[in-house]
Amino acid sequence: MSDYAKPLPEIQPFTRPFWEGTRQRQLLVQHCNACDANIFYPRRECPECWSKDLGWIKSSGRATVYAFSVTYEGVEQMFVEDLPIILAWVDLPEGIRLQTNLLDCDPEAVEIGMEVEVVFKDVTDEITLPFFAPVGRP
Amino acid sequence: MNKGLAIIGAAEVPTKRDPERSRWDILLDVCIGAVRDAGIGKDDVGAVISVNPMAQAQMSLDMALGKIPEQLGMKGCRDICVTNAGGTSTTNALRLAEWFIDGGHADYVLVPHTTVQSDIPVEELINFFATAPLDKQWEYPYGVTFNGAMGLITNRYMYESGATAEDMAAVTVSLRGWAALDPMSIFYGKPVTLDDVLESRMISTPLHAKECNFLADGGGALVVTSHERARELDRPAAYKLGHGVRFTGATPSLRDDVFFREAYRESSQEALKNAGLSIDDMALRQIYGAYPFTQCSALEGYGICEEGDGFRPWAEGRCGPGGDLPCTTMGDATGRGHTGSGVSMAFYIDTVRQLRGEAGERQVENCEFALLTTSGGSVMNTATTIFGRSSR
Repeated sequence: MSDYAKPLPEIQPFTRPFWEGTRQRQLLVQHCNACDANIFYPRRECPECWSKDLGWIKSSGRATVYAFSVTYEGVEQMFVEDLPIILAWVDLPEGIRLQTNLLDCDPEAVEIGMEVEVVFKDVTDEITLPFFAPVGRP
Repeated sequence: MNKGLAIIGAAEVPTKRDPERSRWDILLDVCIGAVRDAGIGKDDVGAVISVNPMAQAQMSLDMALGKIPEQLGMKGCRDICVTNAGGTSTTNALRLAEWFIDGGHADYVLVPHTTVQSDIPVEELINFFATAPLDKQWEYPYGVTFNGAMGLITNRYMYESGATAEDMAAVTVSLRGWAALDPMSIFYGKPVTLDDVLESRMISTPLHAKECNFLADGGGALVVTSHERARELDRPAAYKLGHGVRFTGATPSLRDDVFFREAYRESSQEALKNAGLSIDDMALRQIYGAYPFTQCSALEGYGICEEGDGFRPWAEGRCGPGGDLPCTTMGDATGRGHTGSGVSMAFYIDTVRQLRGEAGERQVENCEFALLTTSGGSVMNTATTIFGRSSR
């Protein structure tokens, strides 16, 4: 796993709990205890009210495809082995939208509105990336 | 009354890929060209506000630390500055120039740009355009490129509007139609058909290769002054009459205004209100969005089309050469070649040409007023400016 050549997220102190969550197979959404906002991406201060009283809620990991794009070329060398790459924006019921990839999915079969669920992949010892895959796949 | 800004000089070099043509060759050509076009002397330039070139660190520093007026012996230059907002850098440079002029700090300001991308490895350019305007923590690890991010938005636009692949390809056909008539375009003399677009390689669905940007080299420069001085010079000029801008957000996947429609709406309404004009007064709409869907959502934001109908006039050929709703005669990045932050410079220069009646085969009839929208980053902002042939 240590020979993972693709870019890793550049983690900041206040985003670390999100990445500790994914390592434990949990998709955490930052939550403002002062104004009740759900926040993505995680911030140091709540972007709605600037409170520092921020916590985390656990997402079910279910989501809906808002938009997708299948990339066939034009990526950096380290991504070439993954082509075609299904890029997707998925909407969580917690009211946030994530950029991700769809896995275990036929690129021709992706649709807007499709139900997907989180799939965690340990890409290094420290980093686990959240991907998504169609609900009910074999 | 605000003294206002007028563009009195413009020059550019043809867009192409030619590593033999250096950044400084381009820069010197366009600076000298714009000053001569303005009919002033080199020592009349009171400030040089440069448009930051993307991914070219040494040239950024040369510009930021004063090399241009020194190279050109501009003895009247009081100060220099670089603006960097990606594609809206030129807009920012003009806003700062207006401050110099309105405040009496300079009579004439030179705004130059140069870019050479043909000597940068493709891998580095893909990396730059994937990391600079996108998020490194939340987007880049998933293999998102600039084309990928814009593919996502285009896909959603087509889903909501019902536009077909043919409808979207028609935008590129019109843009390349304009570009084919423009000696400054990398695609001069090279129009494309619907089939050419639809049969080109699929890059990031639904974007075909011909709907993506072709990275190129180029450069341009403007000389600006006050309305008052421009009138006294008695030379054809482009007078800035109104301006509006909106910020949409840095990260594509996080924006509420997914198609930038609200930003187009609010910035254009504000600009038109400043100018005391309506959208129907505009003979030309210049839209710098770099990807075809922006040409559609902008028409919706301007109030010319209902939401989701902006692709229709393009599909009907009304926005291209010979159409009754001419838009983006500059060809956008798809037609002109993408010169990083230089695309907006080329848009301003083309708008000057249209208002001065110097656009050749692309000349829009009775071009009294034109609207120009520029955007920076992955459309983190949207700036709309109204220009006219006279100061009103």
